[in-house]
Amino acid sequence: MFEYLNQPEIIKTIVTIGSMTLLFIGLFGLLTQKHFIKIFISIAIMETSVFLFFIGNIFNNTFTAPIISERFGDVSKMNDPIPHAMILTAIVIGMAVLALGVSFAIEYFKLTGNTEIDKMNGMKH
Amino acid sequence: MSIKRSLPTSIMSGFALSAALVLTFLNILLQNLPESMQRAGDSLLELNANEGVSNAVTTVVVYFRGFDTLGEIAVLFIASLGIGLMLGENSHCEIKAESNFMLKSASKLLFPIITLYGIYVMVYGHLSPGGGFQGGVIIASGVLLLLVSHKDFEVPHSVIVLLETFAGVAYVLIGLIGLFTLDVFLGNFLPHDVSQMGMLMSGGIIPIIYIIVGIKVGSEMSSIAQNLIKRGEDV
Repeated sequence: MFEYLNQPEIIKTIVTIGSMTLLFIGLFGLLTQKHFIKIFISIAIMETSVFLFFIGNIFNNTFTAPIISERFGDVSKMNDPIPHAMILTAIVIGMAVLALGVSFAIEYFKLTGNTEIDKMNGMKH
Repeated sequence: MSIKRSLPTSIMSGFALSAALVLTFLNILLQNLPESMQRAGDSLLELNANEGVSNAVTTVVVYFRGFDTLGEIAVLFIASLGIGLMLGENSHCEIKAESNFMLKSASKLLFPIITLYGIYVMVYGHLSPGGGFQGGVIIASGVLLLLVSHKDFEVPHSVIVLLETFAGVAYVLIGLIGLFTLDVFLGNFLPHDVSQMGMLMSGGIIPIIYIIVGIKVGSEMSSIAQNLIKRGEDV
């Protein structure tokens, strides 16, 4: 029924539009929210959209996993391993940045009792 | 001067700005959809056969860009260090609610299984999907389960220090041994025969390095979770 969805162009278009929609959601949250933790979560959503964009654009449903063995056959019919390795790095770094940012927010709340970015006025006086 | 934004204009301007940016991105990306991908991975997949490791992603992460992985682990270590410096001064348990009996027993039952699965993912990272990062995070999720369910559970600080130090020093030492024997940092100095591909003992240093990465990631994630959960009482 949905055979036409298997064409690579359709898949890439859907992945591009979907991941950019996710980027939009994250960017909207980043621009409009005022709570620290919500801002960090918005950044994490934007990161996730970029991961999805990379992995989904390299995905080809006629190719196999990049694991060399008898079952998966020829090397030229395998998915590209480089985006996977790159996104693995990016996920770990994104997690480290998110954890560090959240701990900054916790420590700032402990010091000032403030969670809103508009009320950050420590430099004013 | 107050920079207080009133809510409607803020939401409208945020919506307009992000919509404009995203539509621009979308326009560029959809117009340049590649017909046939020029893949750099093909040559890497050809090279991968010489190393005797089945999983090509593992070879790329640990061997072809092993130096980057060392830097990535350093980034993770610095993040863990910063969190420990900021939150870890008076780290005694301050979870108010007592967990019930079911949660305590089930987490005790599940923790060995989760750890075993994490070790499996770590050790078989060069043969199947998985590897050090994934296995380390699975083990840290088991530690997180115990931290949430048991009020007085705590990973001893000395254990985390020992594991992190061991893993970091071992990674650099393996790289230096490769430098002295093969003139390449992180050179594959152990036997890596192509005929052994698919066996557990294959790939030379690659599975060893991935296990070391798993130990380091697991201990750092555990310490991050512990520092974020066990805060002081003055909140």
